[in-house]
Amino acid sequence: MKWPLVERPVPNTQVPLYNRFYLHASPASQFDPVIVWGTEIDADALQAFLHERNRDGRILLTAAHALIRATALALEQCPELNVRLIRRRIYAFRNINIRMAFFHRRYSEIDLMLIEHTNLKSLERIALEIWQRMLQAARNEGGRDRDLARLRRLPAFWFRRVVRLYGFLDRHLRLPTLGRLDSTRAGCMMVNDLSFPGAPPMRVYKPTRFPDKSDSFNLTLGPVENKVVTRSGQFVSVNVMPIFLRADHRLVDAQQIGRFLALIRDLLSNPERLAGGHYRQSDIDRAVAEKQKQ
Amino acid sequence: MSSDRKKLEADLTHFVQSRGTRYAQATLQTDLLETGMLDSLLLMDLIFHIEEAYGVRVDSDQVNPSNFRTIEDTVSFLLKQKALPQA
Repeated sequence: MKWPLVERPVPNTQVPLYNRFYLHASPASQFDPVIVWGTEIDADALQAFLHERNRDGRILLTAAHALIRATALALEQCPELNVRLIRRRIYAFRNINIRMAFFHRRYSEIDLMLIEHTNLKSLERIALEIWQRMLQAARNEGGRDRDLARLRRLPAFWFRRVVRLYGFLDRHLRLPTLGRLDSTRAGCMMVNDLSFPGAPPMRVYKPTRFPDKSDSFNLTLGPVENKVVTRSGQFVSVNVMPIFLRADHRLVDAQQIGRFLALIRDLLSNPERLAGGHYRQSDIDRAVAEKQKQ
Repeated sequence: MSSDRKKLEADLTHFVQSRGTRYAQATLQTDLLETGMLDSLLLMDLIFHIEEAYGVRVDSDQVNPSNFRTIEDTVSFLLKQKALPQA
C-alpha cells in the first residue's frame, strides 16, 4: 500500500483566483476547464541525438523515452503541475511518476504503465523499464496482466458497479494505491507517443481524459513532418514533431502550461540536456531514501 | 554461409517486408533505426516472431541497437542465442 499524495491540500490562498472560479463553479454553469496547447519540437535535433545514442548504446532508445525523461525534468521545475483534484481540493503528489500508454500486444489493446521516480532515472533506465514491461505484457506474465485478465472476466453489471464505486471513493478521498491495477493513479501526467511510422500528420489533437481524477494532464507526441521555414533569411527544410498538452484549468492556468511546454520543447530540441539520472536500481533506491529523509 | 542462416534471413526479411508498403524496400542491410522503420510495434512483433518461431527468449536488456539495427544483425543475434542453452 502506498500513499501517492501529500497529507494536506494546497492552501486556498495559494490557488490563483481564476483557477478557483473553475474549481468552485457549479456543474449547472456547464463550464469547460479543459485547456489544450499544441506546439512543435525540432525533430532533427532529437533524431540526431537518438541516432548517436543508439550507435553504440546498450538499450534501444526511442522518442517516447526521451519525451518521458523530458516530462519528468520539466515537472521537477514546475511542481505546481504535479497535482490532482480530490473533491474541490488540490493535492500534490509526493513523487514524480509518469504514466505511459502502450500497446498491449497480447490483448491488442492499450494499457497503461507507471514509471516511478522518473526524474531520478536515466534515459537508459527509463527505456529498460519500458521494454521490460512491454515484453512482460506481450507474454502475459506480469501480475498486472493477471489482474487485468480477471477484470476482463467480470460481468458488465459488476464491472460497472466496481468502476463506479472506486471512482466515487477516488473522487472524494485521499486514497492509497492498493494493488497493481490502481498503481497508475500515482502519477498525474500521461505521456502518449503517437509518432509511429505511417501515422497521419497531426494538426489538432485533444487527448481524452481517463475517467480517474489522477489523469490531470496528457502530453501527446505526434509524427515527424517536414516543413520549410526561414532561418537567417534563408528557406530551409526542417523536421518537426507536434506536441499537445491537455490540462485542467482548475489546477493550472495557461501561463503555467506555456512555461511547462516551453521547458519540454527546450529539452527535446536540446536533447543533450536529458543526460543524467541513475541507471542502477541501487542508486535509484539510495536517491529515493535520501529524498525521504529530507 | 550456412543454410540455417540463409533460411533465417529469408524468413525475417519476409516478415519485415510484409508489414506494408513502407517496409517493402527493407533488405538485409537496411538500417531500420536510421530509416525510422523500427518502432516499438515492429520491434515487439519481431521479438515475438523470433520467440514463437524459434523458441528463443529475448530479455529486456537484450533490446539493444546492435541486435536489431538491421535484419542481418537480428539474424546474428538469433543464431548466437540459439547456440546458447535456453533456460
